[in-house]
Formats: sequence, structure tokens, C-alpha cells
Amino acid sequence: MSGPVDRDPGLQPERTLMSWQRTLILMVLVGLLFMRGSLVPETTHIPEPSMPIRATMMAMSIIMAGLLALHVQLRWRRCGHGTRDPESGRPPLNVATPWAMVTVSATVFVLSVVLVVGTVLAV
Amino acid sequence: MASDTPDSGDGVDYRFTLANERTFLAWVRTALALLAGAVAVLHLLPLEWADGSRTAVGLVLAGLAGVITIYAPLRWFRVQRIMSRGDTLRMSLLPVVTTLAVAAIVVLILLGNLL
Repeated sequence: MSGPVDRDPGLQPERTLMSWQRTLILMVLVGLLFMRGSLVPETTHIPEPSMPIRATMMAMSIIMAGLLALHVQLRWRRCGHGTRDPESGRPPLNVATPWAMVTVSATVFVLSVVLVVGTVLAV
Repeated sequence: MASDTPDSGDGVDYRFTLANERTFLAWVRTALALLAGAVAVLHLLPLEWADGSRTAVGLVLAGLAGVITIYAPLRWFRVQRIMSRGDTLRMSLLPVVTTLAVAAIVVLILLGNLL
């Protein structure tokens, strides 16, 4: 960026953007954790979900995190780095759209439901 | 921003709506962390536990994560609406529930290891 920019003195939009980044990084990590087998090799007494389920969970969390990161990044640029909403001309009320918030919750919800259902079915 | 209370047009201070968004994201991260714990207990760590307690602890963690992901967007929306109306915020019970559940699991694991 060049030249002085009218910014929020508390850098609130930046903090919110970083909060999104932390959340999406954690989502990718949890997806990778689903893929991972037992931490100690050659233990057989831990129930393990089948390979397709593990791969689907990992792929879903990585793809969703990628899409959400893209959305947040594009919106961040369109809103002039959180300084003005193209529609209202004022600082945007949210870094991401409400639909992105619903999407991130739904993704994590699906992850936990698959884990619960898989565990209950395996018992 | 010249004035003391930056206004976003419809009477809502954008700093508060952004704080609301960050609170929402913090809840999502809490759910993801609980999920990571559930995966570790259920599938990753060869714990010397009975199968029943392993399943119970894993299910409580994963179930709590599921409840939080339903609660988080609803709470975000409710707070957003209350702020645009200028009403007062009401307390929420879920932080207490989450704390108690996590504390209960910690105590169970500690006792299980000590006894």
C-alpha cells in the first residue's frame, strides 16, 4: 500500500482478519489430524475410521478452508483493506459475509457429527 | 474517523460488530480444539483406558463441539440484532457449560490416572 490510509486506530478490521486466518489454519490442522492414524505405529486396539471417511474429512476441511480464505481475502481487497464497504462507503460491519460464518460453522458441525456417528456406529 | 463513536450508517458501531465477529470465530476455534481432542482420544492415542471411558470422553468432546457450532452463528446473529436495536445484551449459558464439561473431563482423567 502507498500513501497514508485512513485506518481504524485500534486496527479492528486487521485483528478480525487475523482471527479468520487463525481459525482457517486450525481447520486445516484438524482436517489433517482426521487423516492421521494412531500416533504409535502398529497398535491395533484403537478403533480407526475407514480410509475413505478419513480422506473425505481431510479433503472437506482443506477445501472449505481454502474457499473461505479466498472469500475473506477477496472481500478484504474489495473493502479497501477493511476501510470502506463499496456499497455504503463506510467501514464494513464484518470482515466476512454472514454466509461465510454459516459455512464455517456448518463445516465444523459436519466434522463433529461424522466423528460422533462414526464412534456410535463402531461401538 | 473524526468522531468518537464511528458510525456505520445504521447506528451500529463497526468496532462492536467486528468484535462480535471475532467472538464468533473464537467459538469456532474452541469447537475445533474440542474436535482435535476428541479425535486424539478416539483414534490417535493408544490410551490404557477401558473402551467405554474412551468412547464417553470422545463423544462428550465431539458433542460439545457440535453444540458450539450451532450456537455460535445464532449467538452472532442475535448479538448483531440486539446491537442494531440498542437493547441490552443478555448473558449466555454456554461458556459455563463448556467450562464445566471440560473441567469434568480433566478431573475424570486426573482421577483415572491417579487411582
